[in-house]
Amino acid sequence: MASSTTASLAASPAFTFSASTFQKLHPTEYFRKFVSQGVRPDGRLLNSFRPTTVHQGVITTANGSAMVRIGGTTVVCGVKAEVAEPKLDAPDQGYLVPNVDLSPICSSAFRPGPPSEQAQVVSDQINRVLKESNVLDLKDLCIEEGKAVWSLWVDVVCVSYDGNIYDASLTAVMAALANVRIRKPTYEEGVVKVSGVDNTDEDDNSSFKLKLARTPLSASFVLFDTSLTLLADPNFAEEAISEGQISITIDEQGKLCAVSKVGAATTSLTSMRQCVDRARERSQELRAIMNQHQ
Amino acid sequence: MDRKRVPGPELSVAPLVEYPVGYKRWTPLEEKRHDLKRQTEDMRPIYLKTGLINQANGSAYIELEKTKLACGVYGPRPAKKLGGILSTKGTLNCEIKFATFSCAKRRSNVRVLLESDGFGSCLAAAITAASVALAHAGIEMLDLVAGCSASYIQIGPNPASISSRTSSSKARGSISTQIFMDADLEEEKYEQGAIVLAYMPSLNEITHVLQSGKAEGSTISKSVEYCVEACNKIYAVMHHALLESINENKEAL
Repeated sequence: MASSTTASLAASPAFTFSASTFQKLHPTEYFRKFVSQGVRPDGRLLNSFRPTTVHQGVITTANGSAMVRIGGTTVVCGVKAEVAEPKLDAPDQGYLVPNVDLSPICSSAFRPGPPSEQAQVVSDQINRVLKESNVLDLKDLCIEEGKAVWSLWVDVVCVSYDGNIYDASLTAVMAALANVRIRKPTYEEGVVKVSGVDNTDEDDNSSFKLKLARTPLSASFVLFDTSLTLLADPNFAEEAISEGQISITIDEQGKLCAVSKVGAATTSLTSMRQCVDRARERSQELRAIMNQHQ
Repeated sequence: MDRKRVPGPELSVAPLVEYPVGYKRWTPLEEKRHDLKRQTEDMRPIYLKTGLINQANGSAYIELEKTKLACGVYGPRPAKKLGGILSTKGTLNCEIKFATFSCAKRRSNVRVLLESDGFGSCLAAAITAASVALAHAGIEMLDLVAGCSASYIQIGPNPASISSRTSSSKARGSISTQIFMDADLEEEKYEQGAIVLAYMPSLNEITHVLQSGKAEGSTISKSVEYCVEACNKIYAVMHHALLESINENKEAL
């Protein structure tokens, strides 16, 4: 085998590269070769998503939790309920605080220290989806008006990063929120108490679940090359060479909750429409996966 | 104010947990473990897997029932030159991070620990996972390092259980100190002291001992023995996980 390769090398005047060397030297050209044939290097079609799993209730120290894997991307979301004083201008509303942490453990692209730009953007996107789509009525989190409310700390930790962090994080957040159980509190003279007895019954009255008005789930695409070809569910390598990114967030009734398009100067209306159509299908798929593990 | 995170209330506290009258919490009096399936010398079952973080050069995930920990190794990469001085030594940077939801009280933003149940066992699990992740990254080491923890917990006074124990000659009065291997959080609340031991099983060498709290010399030396024994068991698990990762690689090729 080795001898035949050397022979062919000697025979051809031009350099020959192995595929992996070619990928490192000219990542865009390497991708272009695949994309022109309608496939991607990892064997996916242009509009297919990676295998996805959702597991709820993986963390027992949290009030609600979920682990989501989309291909090589793994995120864990934990929701913790704590007691806080309400804001003066909203005495009967609780807090819902989502944050995404992209720590150096999940990829060498992230450095230790304060949240990176990307982490800030994803946190903000999720925050806006939750707030502006009225996913949760913050009045449900009231314990005693003007005195005490629940503060839900929704923290997403990325364990393994391989692109498309927004879809993974939002799915994990929604699955974790659906999984939340908070013990019914009693308020007495400035002190909030909950019962410490473990009651594992599903339908017991000592704890309550959150009433989610809707479950927005997203589908992301990148625009590749000057032709702005759409690639669904980009992995790390595809994100790195993309021109721009489109994320469509849709609730269970097929209504748009958020649309974001960044980079790549302009996009045609038809490709936006394609994205929305594909995102509709994808969010239904995701919802099915979520319910299957519930 | 932190402008890089979504802001929440400035002060929030976990609610007070109240137990009804007559509710029995676990105490070490009856010489039983918090987890009734375990004996004092038993560890929690370990689940260990390599290669879950695909961007990392090496990675390991370890689960001791409720304690869950992921470890990633990045490198080796060229060291930054310090003022042009060439060093023949490499550096190993180590970072441990608790997820905010990993403990009973939310940890504000301080390798990712996903969930913790007991602090000694946490550190021990971190040592084990880090060592497996380094091996998975193909970094040459003297040996794998296994970590193990134990707590010293006074049991009694409970005359019935003391008299039934014939093996315990150390019972002074009605109180005796028992070594609980791999204690969980509920058990750690009652501990007098604790030991975390890191050990290289095939070289039969101890790399690290962290002992805190008070205990008699004999108890400590006994606990070291127990830990070494447990480390040998952990080593088998580590070995198995690494072999499995090699087999998976072969299949992938």
